[in-house]
Amino acid sequence: MPVKIDEAGQQIDLVQGTLEMLILKTLALEPMHGYGVTLRIEQISNGIFRVNPGSLLPALSRLERGGRVKSEWRATENNRRAKYYLLTANGRKALVTERDQWQRQILAISRILDA
Amino acid sequence: MHWIASLIVGLKSLFQKQRVERELDEELESYVEASVAHKQSAGITAEVAHRAAMIELGSRNAVKHQVWSSRWESTLDGILQDIRISLRMLTKGPAFTIIALLSLALGIGGNTAIFTLIDQVMLRNLPVQNPEQLVTFGPENGGGEAGGIDMGSYGLFPWYFARQLQADPGPFQGIASFCSFSDKVSVRLPSTGGAADSGTPAILAPANLVSGNYFSVLGAQPFMGRAIAPTDDDTPGSGAVIVLSHHFWQQALSSDPAILGKVISINGSPFDVIGVMPENFHGIRQEMEPPDLWAPMTMQTVILRQPSMLTPSGGLYFLDVFGRLNRYAATNKQALAQSQNWLDQQVRTGIRTEEGAKVTPARLQEISRVTVPLVDAARGASSLRDQYGDSLKILMGVVALVLLIACANLANFLLARAATRKREFATRLALGSSRARIVRQSLIETLLLSFTGGVLGLGIAFAATRVLIGFVSQGNAYIAMDPTPDTTVMLFTLGLSLLTGVLFGLAPALAAARTGAAGNLSDSSRTAQSSGGKSARLWPKMLVTVQVMLSLLLLVGAGLFLRTLRNLQNQDYGFERSHLLLAEFNAKLAGYKPSQTPGLHQRLMERLSVLPGVRSVALSASPPISAGNWSSSVTIPGYTPAPRESMHSILNRVSGQYFETVGISILAGRAFNNADAANSQKVAVVNQTLASHFFPKGDAVGRSILIDINSVKGPWQIVGIARDTRSGDPRNTDPVRMTYIPIAQIDPFLPVDSSTPAATGVVAKPAVPEENQDRFAGMILVRTTGDPAHSIADLRASVTSVDPNLPLLRITTIHDQVSHFMTHDELISSLTGMFSLLALLLASIGLYGVMSYNVVRRTNEIGIRIALGAQTPAVQWMILSESLLLLAAGVGLGLPLTLLATKYLKDQLFGLSPLDPMTFAVALFTVSAMTLLAAWLPARRATKVDPMVALRCD
Repeated sequence: MPVKIDEAGQQIDLVQGTLEMLILKTLALEPMHGYGVTLRIEQISNGIFRVNPGSLLPALSRLERGGRVKSEWRATENNRRAKYYLLTANGRKALVTERDQWQRQILAISRILDA
Repeated sequence: MHWIASLIVGLKSLFQKQRVERELDEELESYVEASVAHKQSAGITAEVAHRAAMIELGSRNAVKHQVWSSRWESTLDGILQDIRISLRMLTKGPAFTIIALLSLALGIGGNTAIFTLIDQVMLRNLPVQNPEQLVTFGPENGGGEAGGIDMGSYGLFPWYFARQLQADPGPFQGIASFCSFSDKVSVRLPSTGGAADSGTPAILAPANLVSGNYFSVLGAQPFMGRAIAPTDDDTPGSGAVIVLSHHFWQQALSSDPAILGKVISINGSPFDVIGVMPENFHGIRQEMEPPDLWAPMTMQTVILRQPSMLTPSGGLYFLDVFGRLNRYAATNKQALAQSQNWLDQQVRTGIRTEEGAKVTPARLQEISRVTVPLVDAARGASSLRDQYGDSLKILMGVVALVLLIACANLANFLLARAATRKREFATRLALGSSRARIVRQSLIETLLLSFTGGVLGLGIAFAATRVLIGFVSQGNAYIAMDPTPDTTVMLFTLGLSLLTGVLFGLAPALAAARTGAAGNLSDSSRTAQSSGGKSARLWPKMLVTVQVMLSLLLLVGAGLFLRTLRNLQNQDYGFERSHLLLAEFNAKLAGYKPSQTPGLHQRLMERLSVLPGVRSVALSASPPISAGNWSSSVTIPGYTPAPRESMHSILNRVSGQYFETVGISILAGRAFNNADAANSQKVAVVNQTLASHFFPKGDAVGRSILIDINSVKGPWQIVGIARDTRSGDPRNTDPVRMTYIPIAQIDPFLPVDSSTPAATGVVAKPAVPEENQDRFAGMILVRTTGDPAHSIADLRASVTSVDPNLPLLRITTIHDQVSHFMTHDELISSLTGMFSLLALLLASIGLYGVMSYNVVRRTNEIGIRIALGAQTPAVQWMILSESLLLLAAGVGLGLPLTLLATKYLKDQLFGLSPLDPMTFAVALFTVSAMTLLAAWLPARRATKVDPMVALRCD
């Protein structure tokens, strides 16, 4: 996926699907518009992950097609119109399973690395 | 159900592309606004924040494109776009498109047409349950009645034996039988009253006699009513029921829904209609003219109008027998061998019982080796398959080759076009298009061509199949073949179109993909064309070489078949093949008794001989040349046959003037004349082969001959020797023995068989002697002074004036009668001829195209050469030599291929070797001439290049 990890000048491709999991997690807190998601991921990861719109918007589109998020136009805090994304029940379930899988993967990988 | 939702959303967004785009624009807008607002809140000035936000976003269009292509409908959209582009490209070059579509339509159409026939004749299973379990006992491709043969030879059995197998089918699920021929019967339909009305006109329809379990063993269900059951086929003379074919029900009875239970009259006897079979059922035998009626075997005397053949022992061999294997035997070789063994045991026992006590040990040995092979009948027993199978396979090969040549042509054209479009491809690559996209567009273009060609081809195939079936049917009004393509044929055409498209589209597509983005853009278009690299120029040449190769193969094949047909036609037939009209009639069907025949024959001869333009008239049992024959073994007093020597002779009963009318010359003695009447000395004429075989000393005239058929036993005194004639298949050049006897001298009654034992329980026959059915003639022969076809109307009128009820079954000229034996030779030679010329034409167009393109490509070079002083012949030679090289390569590779391929045609040829030098020479000459012509035109154009123009332009 074209999500880049910008760490110490190094760019590493993210594992496929990771971005979607991060978006789901972000949206699990509250409905957000696109820039909000970028900002939240950047803030929480202390600036390590910076998601550009070229990756974010296709990912959101895929999630919406997959029925994991839905969108609606709402007014922002500055009284402008923006497309807000909401997590669906389906998305909530998907987040749980993906998170579970991810943690097991991490555990396995670190076991191998530490062996 | 998630994918359905996705499908709907996707399609919606596809149709509302503008709305989707607007929404995306708005979202991006709000994204930037949010970004700017956030940056401003961090204390950055509005202008700087805006610039930073725009940089973060990057190309707005790129983002939109990424979102769009993350959705599945974008692929579909792209394909639609490619189709639009392709259509535009194709309409831009109409000449190419038309040539391409035409050659594809002809190629695919030819393949589809031949495949339709192959499918119907060779591939289709019978429309019954588990057809793979059906086997016929022995090959069932002929019909007739025979005596004095081993049981099961020609696949024929007597009634009592078939009945025995039927009662005890051993390891088979069931064994059933049917009459090996379907004679035409005269049918009168019920009038509105429901009873068979003698007032309605009679219809002639082929009827087949079947055993009671025929339909149940076949596993065929009736369309309505019931099929014939074993109870119908119980005792000879009972069971007057009839099952109709769907075709007969539809044509003759206008699909009368209330036909069941009505009575129709067949040959004057009433039959109850009990059922109608489904449309695609024609019996186990797939025949050109399938039966329209099925009657129980017990009605044999009525249907065949012959004395009973249903004798409790012995009797004529006239039944075909088939069985349904048990479940294991159908799949397991060992179980099949067991069934085969069982059958052979039954047949051997049957033969031993028939031959009784007189069997020698040598004969016993022979009998113990008799075997009647089980023949797979899942697709029915078919004489069509035997007759046309090989021809169809060859034709399939021919049309496949033609399609290959057409493919090579198109590949060549497209390669040339791909070369001229290099700049376009390079531009598209430079603008960010992917190679896959370019290949896809290129393939879509070729597939569009091939599928359009396929659709046109289906139309051509439909028309061609109609013509072919008409040709094969030889004027039969109804045959069980249908030109309408079914699902199998449609799938075949679809697959073929796809394959064709990939075949001729792949090379150009790959060539397009190989285009490098750099370099080509800066080249001028002409230098780009000439710098295609070695491989780019090798492809077209290889394709042309292959075309020359295949054209040579096809031309040689066509030549061989053409000469085979010529050889067959130009044989010495022993009789004159012009000015003779043949009319088949059947007095039996009109209700004549044998005793009435002399009068009828007399009246016919008198009435016909006074017709204008008629030189002479004769009657006979069979025409001088026919597929079936009346034959028997003969006995010659004073001649002792060697053990197992064949005493066989073909027989014909003829009126006086037969030899004169047919044009068979008498070599010794005399022909029949009017003095050979019923009460005078019985005489016979034999042919040369018979005379020289039995009377090698040349003393045949004056000797006598006996025929081993009771009704015409003789003795007959030989009064003349006639020339040998071809009496059957013109490919069979072995001399055949023939015996002619005067029809007027055949005894009116059968000799009383004194050996019939009265103690078998059969009721003793009344002492009335049985009438001799062999007194009927079946054929009127008329020798005319002018075109025999012009006398047909007169002949009909004369016969009607003698008796309006006398049915004339078929009227042909002798020329057509002989041609019928060569239908498949004519078919194969004319079709291979046509297709090979088409192939040659395509190949020439291909070569012309490649060479013209080469000249255009090398205009610069040629211009420079001419400017530097090259002479016209040198320039011409430069271009020509290239074509000559291709021709040499094509012929060099094609000759061995052809020599190899023609070996397989050996069985199809007649009177020439598959290496016939004449054919090869003509084919080579034709290929060379066409190639040189195709190459000479561009070469001439090359010499016309104006150096100033060539150098200045571009």
